[in-house]
Amino acid sequence: MTATTEKPAVETPAQRASEEQPAQKKPAAKKSSPTTKAAARRTSRKGAAKASEKASGAASGAAERRMHRQDESQEQAETSASTALATPLDLLLADAGTGPLRRFVPGVSGIKFTAGLARHPGKVVRRTTGLAAELTRVGLGRSRLAPAEKDRRFTEEAWARNPLFKRTLQGYLALGAAARGLVDDAALEWGDDQRIRFIMDNLVEAAAPSNNPFLNPKVLKRTLDTGGGNLVEGGRRLVRDFATPPRVPSMVEADAFEVGKDIAVTPGAVVFRTDVFELIQYTPQTPKVREVPVLIVPPTINKYYVIDLAEQRSLVEHLVQSGQQVFCISWRNPDVRHADWGLDTYGQAILEAMSACEDISRQDRTAIFGICSGGMIASMVLAHLARTDQLDRVAAYSLAVTVLDQERAGVTSALLSHKSAAASTQASKEKGYLDGRTLAEIFAWLRPNDLIWNYWVNNYLMGHAPKAFDILYWNADPVRMSAAMHRDFMDLAIRNALVEPDAATILDTPVDLSRVTTDAYVVAGIADHLCKWESCYQTTQLLGGDTKFVLSTSGHIAAMVNPPGNPKASFQTSPSGGGQQGTDNPADAAEWLDRAVKVKGSWWDDWTGWLAERTGEERAKPRRLGNASHEPLADAPGTYVHDR
Amino acid sequence: MTAEPPQGASGDGDVMTPLRRDVVRQLTVRGITARVSVRPGVGSYASKPPLLLCNGIGVSLEALQPLVDQLHPDRGLVRFDVPGIGGSALPPTPYPIAALSSWVTALMAKLGHRRFDVFGLSWGGGLAQQLAVQSPRKVHRVVLVATGTGCLMVPASPRVLGIMSTPRRHRDPEYAARVAPEIYGGSMRTDPERGAALLHAATRSGPKRGYYYQLAAMAGWTSLPFLGLLRQPTLVMGGDDDPIIPAVNPRMQAAMIPRARLHLYHGGHLGILTEADELAPVIDAFLDEPDTLRRPA
Repeated sequence: MTATTEKPAVETPAQRASEEQPAQKKPAAKKSSPTTKAAARRTSRKGAAKASEKASGAASGAAERRMHRQDESQEQAETSASTALATPLDLLLADAGTGPLRRFVPGVSGIKFTAGLARHPGKVVRRTTGLAAELTRVGLGRSRLAPAEKDRRFTEEAWARNPLFKRTLQGYLALGAAARGLVDDAALEWGDDQRIRFIMDNLVEAAAPSNNPFLNPKVLKRTLDTGGGNLVEGGRRLVRDFATPPRVPSMVEADAFEVGKDIAVTPGAVVFRTDVFELIQYTPQTPKVREVPVLIVPPTINKYYVIDLAEQRSLVEHLVQSGQQVFCISWRNPDVRHADWGLDTYGQAILEAMSACEDISRQDRTAIFGICSGGMIASMVLAHLARTDQLDRVAAYSLAVTVLDQERAGVTSALLSHKSAAASTQASKEKGYLDGRTLAEIFAWLRPNDLIWNYWVNNYLMGHAPKAFDILYWNADPVRMSAAMHRDFMDLAIRNALVEPDAATILDTPVDLSRVTTDAYVVAGIADHLCKWESCYQTTQLLGGDTKFVLSTSGHIAAMVNPPGNPKASFQTSPSGGGQQGTDNPADAAEWLDRAVKVKGSWWDDWTGWLAERTGEERAKPRRLGNASHEPLADAPGTYVHDR
Repeated sequence: MTAEPPQGASGDGDVMTPLRRDVVRQLTVRGITARVSVRPGVGSYASKPPLLLCNGIGVSLEALQPLVDQLHPDRGLVRFDVPGIGGSALPPTPYPIAALSSWVTALMAKLGHRRFDVFGLSWGGGLAQQLAVQSPRKVHRVVLVATGTGCLMVPASPRVLGIMSTPRRHRDPEYAARVAPEIYGGSMRTDPERGAALLHAATRSGPKRGYYYQLAAMAGWTSLPFLGLLRQPTLVMGGDDDPIIPAVNPRMQAAMIPRARLHLYHGGHLGILTEADELAPVIDAFLDEPDTLRRPA
């Protein structure tokens, strides 16, 4: 984690290259190449604020645009839902203890920003005169400014045809562009630049005329139509939403779905329960199943059912129907009494779950599938097994949207400093846990256009109920994180400890990921703005086995929830390295992307094929769930999933 | 969905073990999402009204498990977390007990139960009394355990009330073990760890604010004036060593409710949970009595 205020980001590519030649056995490339970084900086300066638009390099940018063109026609809900997601660690760390307000305090970055502007007075003058000229053109009606084609806020005809609204909009666009331009002019270092850009984007987006009931033609029309009923209804919603945390507009009605009724419905039973988790065994749906069970380790910072949404949208169901024996951990939602649950607690839990899977399926191996933060812990557990000579208990390792190498893992790490990290662990320590609802607030402010203003207009100004969308329901069902886990995660992120062999420990053994020689299947989402795919890609450089990397379309969650049958879905992959690490996974992510082959369809199918090769022979399905020592305790989805 | 029935055998010789019939689910009633545990009645109980269990203050539905395990296995049961407790969402504003009572009947209606029996323990006993008087046609029989008549009752000692005024005992196991004998009495005096375990291990914690909402709901509420209006057959139970609810309270309730009978037991505030094996049959016997009076049409 170099992106801190104390340790500014490395200055020059050359310098970085010289610094980045550690005496390591393996070619651990920790960053995409300097050229890509520069390109990325350039593209972001064009004001493409949308993370999904941010080309991560010249090469990948083209590919990304290519893939995006195919993705564009996806539903609007899908788009916004893909932005609602599990939380990246750095973010947790940065402000979860203290709430979202901190983020809006520019602090030292603000001073640097002002100083940066003072250093470039010429640029500032040019920027200001340019703005004045543009505003004059706007006033005269000669401006050609128009909102981006994809911008859903200004689709109303009045924005283009009504002179008054048109001028309002163009004036806003001119001012917004100038404000964002100032950040470019200040020529800040990476961390400060990201931080100030975040604040500026938020201000600009909050000021949009579409958020103002008196300036938004759509709202004015509706007020006329309903005689102000929309504002009464919207006011009611506003009071309801802001009475209880998270104090952000609700993205989904509380009763839009019911867990166990229309989501998390794949049949199965809880066969094992401890204080920390419930282990769900899913009922086989094929006459024959593979011998080796698959154990899913979901994120600890969300409910597990993101992988078991509605029928046909459930990864679990897909696995079961492809003939796998599926087990899934459902983490308990910890509260103040569980403040001391740390990495070791969760690591131990995974080991217990593995033992239960082995016992029930009468096998001595399990295939592990870790997701997001669950993937992080699972990776460490694998390293522990490697260290204790038990790695043969893992038949195959799959990892989805997980960042093990935190180096510059996107905007969130730029916002993280040692100081704020320490402050927030202190805060969670006092409270005993980190509240998921605070995270939801922080989260929403990371993508205000999609997650706040969009709903602001829809819920409060138009008085509509938000659309029922399962991913958003899941996202609005937050969990807590125990203080010790928060501390441990934070420590990992700050030190970027998983990259260095033996820098982190779990269950009293040092973690060296290169000892994990199990075959691995690593999935990332190309538009994932939180676990950037380049960061996920670095996992291929860390693990010591034959690793197949797969790059799916869409973002953090939509990449996970990627059922077959979507004609738009595709993924990119390259042949894996035949057991020799690095053979086909070059150190540089952009280079990998150049070589990758695009495959139509969902990676789910590709993955089940990959799993089938590694989960043993087929045998008749088990006659019952659980066994004598693990009697079924309750039907899936179990009880822990209902804890709020 | 090819869901196999949770019990019995499915088509091709699968022997699926009968699972525990309690199904925990989330239900949203009037905009508030609540965690509910439902055990449908079977056999001769399938057509009888289910028993709604109203819990003590600040604890989630798991805390009632010792009693549930001892009640007749075929009886239909409904347990729920009061909004703001355990797995239920915090309501946007504090609520009066009457509003909660009406919300609970809406919850039962959503579950498809027009008539039901009510069991109330401690704080839940207040809710049960309110339910009985507010929905006389829906509530069939009433069981009140270790509960009082609200703010007009013979109070506990100030020290006990002080301990009760915060949710700390549900959150801090050492503290719970320390205060358990003093506030719960009965077998807790000899075995305080058990009290801590009962409250601490079992409950799923909600926000502190939920507990204070519960306290606030009972502030200023009393059932004393309307106890005479209760039409339902009522069983009043209480412990003779209950620091929170001195035994005179259940006696008073039994005297004032027209169709009440009293069952005093040796034990403390949580006797119904710690000595469930002895007390659950009393409840079962009462609920299974034939109705002697004609029901209101």
